[in-house]
Amino acid sequence: MLPRFATLLAGLSLTGMAHAAATHYPLTVDNCGMPQTFAHAPERAVTIGQAGTEMLYALGLGDKLAGTSLWFNNVLPEYKALNDKVPRLADNDPSFEAVVGKRPELVAVQFEWMVGAQGVVATREQFNELKVPTYLLPSDCEGKDNLVGADGTRLQAFQVESIYKSVSQLAEIFDVQDRGAALNTDLKARLDGARQQLAGKDLSQTSALFWFSSADLDIDPYVAGRQGVADFMLRTLGVRNVVESTEEWPTVGWETLAKANPTWLIIARMDRRRFPADDYQKKLEFLHSDPVTQHMDAVKNNRIIILDADAMQAGIRLFRGLQTLSAAFASGKAAQ
Amino acid sequence: MKRLLPCTALALAALLAALFAGTAIGETSVSPNVVYQVLANHLWQAGYPVDPIDAGIIWNYRLTRTLVAAACGAGLATCGVILQALLRNPLAEPYLLGLSAGASTGAVLVGLLGLGSVALSMSGGAFVGAVAAFALVLLLARAAGPSSNNAQVILAGIAGSQLFNALTAFLITKSATAEQARGILFWLLGNLSGVRWPSVWLAVPVALFGLVVCLWHRRTLDAFTFGADSAASMGIAVRRSQLLLISCAALVTAVMVSIVGAIGFVGLVIPHALRLLLGPGHSRLLPASALGGALFLIAADMLSRTLIPGQVIPVGVVTALIGAPVFALILVSRRGRA
Repeated sequence: MLPRFATLLAGLSLTGMAHAAATHYPLTVDNCGMPQTFAHAPERAVTIGQAGTEMLYALGLGDKLAGTSLWFNNVLPEYKALNDKVPRLADNDPSFEAVVGKRPELVAVQFEWMVGAQGVVATREQFNELKVPTYLLPSDCEGKDNLVGADGTRLQAFQVESIYKSVSQLAEIFDVQDRGAALNTDLKARLDGARQQLAGKDLSQTSALFWFSSADLDIDPYVAGRQGVADFMLRTLGVRNVVESTEEWPTVGWETLAKANPTWLIIARMDRRRFPADDYQKKLEFLHSDPVTQHMDAVKNNRIIILDADAMQAGIRLFRGLQTLSAAFASGKAAQ
Repeated sequence: MKRLLPCTALALAALLAALFAGTAIGETSVSPNVVYQVLANHLWQAGYPVDPIDAGIIWNYRLTRTLVAAACGAGLATCGVILQALLRNPLAEPYLLGLSAGASTGAVLVGLLGLGSVALSMSGGAFVGAVAAFALVLLLARAAGPSSNNAQVILAGIAGSQLFNALTAFLITKSATAEQARGILFWLLGNLSGVRWPSVWLAVPVALFGLVVCLWHRRTLDAFTFGADSAASMGIAVRRSQLLLISCAALVTAVMVSIVGAIGFVGLVIPHALRLLLGPGHSRLLPASALGGALFLIAADMLSRTLIPGQVIPVGVVTALIGAPVFALILVSRRGRA
């Protein structure tokens, strides 16, 4: 399943399916309340955020990338060779000058707090003053107030349409609309496939809990609340999230979580090692040894799903995550 | 002295009642009967059938948490008494000597350098940071002048705190993402959620040790209330007692900070409140402060778990929110009498 994007795109470029409309320039895209104008398809782009970077790779635009930044994990294996050739400006947030120094004709940004009103890198106005258009992934601005709360606050639940929208808008900006359409078809097929796998299965009594990480192993963990991407995945598959907070990643005590006793536990796997609980092995160890969590149904019956942390972010990886979850829910056995 | 026995009995009864309340009240509702059964099962093998999740929550989460809250409250209040007496400054409190600032730097370093998965937990980092900051402050105070000068110690403490706070801010802006900064902040504001039995076995003996050392030196502390010179004239080895008591306070505070983060207000206000109520004599003030600190922190932790359903407020926020008005009330009502 993994190399499907790659083969798909290779197939596309060979047969040259040019059915979709060509982009007319100058193109103006209304992006998160700020119209951005492109005189021609960008030749050099810089990305801030792994989700946008991988989306451009999936659109076959790797050769247009002049720099990447804000990485959370290793790049998807099928893009490793491509990614090795692109300069990495910073592992974390890049400086404004490092970005504009690449003379980009587009800066694609995953999170508004990087370029919003209190942008960590710079504000979008500062980029526009230098005639550098920015594109902020709609999943981080639509229905979300990024001036409230540490990670912003979702006013409405995350909509998967925002991902299809970013794919087709980026495809339009780069004049590769056929590739955008093909990628969206593939993503939608994955989502439908994940749903169909559970068709006819009664999940009305099934519940789940997403455990991302914890600042210290025994301390209240970061879990997925309502409204975010993780909750969207559960809603899509018809499974109830036991956490009811509307924060995207609230901290909730183990006492409350153990009493909620979800059918499934979904724990995040990540390369980051800031906190001990970043290691999914440590999470498993905790669940099986803690005097309370070891009695949870999901732990006793080993219904623990290990899921890549990136699959819980608004990006193309989310669809693979859906497939992982639905396979586990369908078989009743934990998948990894 | 003839009131010693009933007073002790009353204090113990209050403490036990508070511990039971702290164990019975929490994020989710468990009936007091189940709480009793779980405690009976563990304490005298009563053998009641109880749900294992409830049993775990009561015995391993809530009881440990309440015991550590009590130990921390007692320890911090005792340290506050020592420092206020030794330094003769009403603003003296356990974090004055740069301990909480050093603890944050240590914890942040562990978090950001990713030492977390290797050897040192954030708590370990906090303890090392707190001790390092204290050592630096002591050296600075010594280099600045004779140790009997209180102002030098206080100024050195402020300098040390500023330095370590700046280091923490620098580290966070330099390398943490918003998410990590939030994790660290959450921890620094004081948090009792990660507490289990090993923390109890550390916090309770340390708090008792601090209290016993101070009670042993209660006459010295009484003498210091009138200044180092009068203490010296009473035949007290000023320099040695001062160093011993300050180090004792620093050690207790460092241990508490490393277990629960920097919970403010307890060490500053509880000693003042009880001094206003009971007078300055340390043979009464010390045990009363320890008890007051324990009860206060148990109550604050209970509120932090129940004020907003489904969410835990940092206990440090609660101690300030509840403590400040209560203290103001005591100040005003004692006007003209103290």
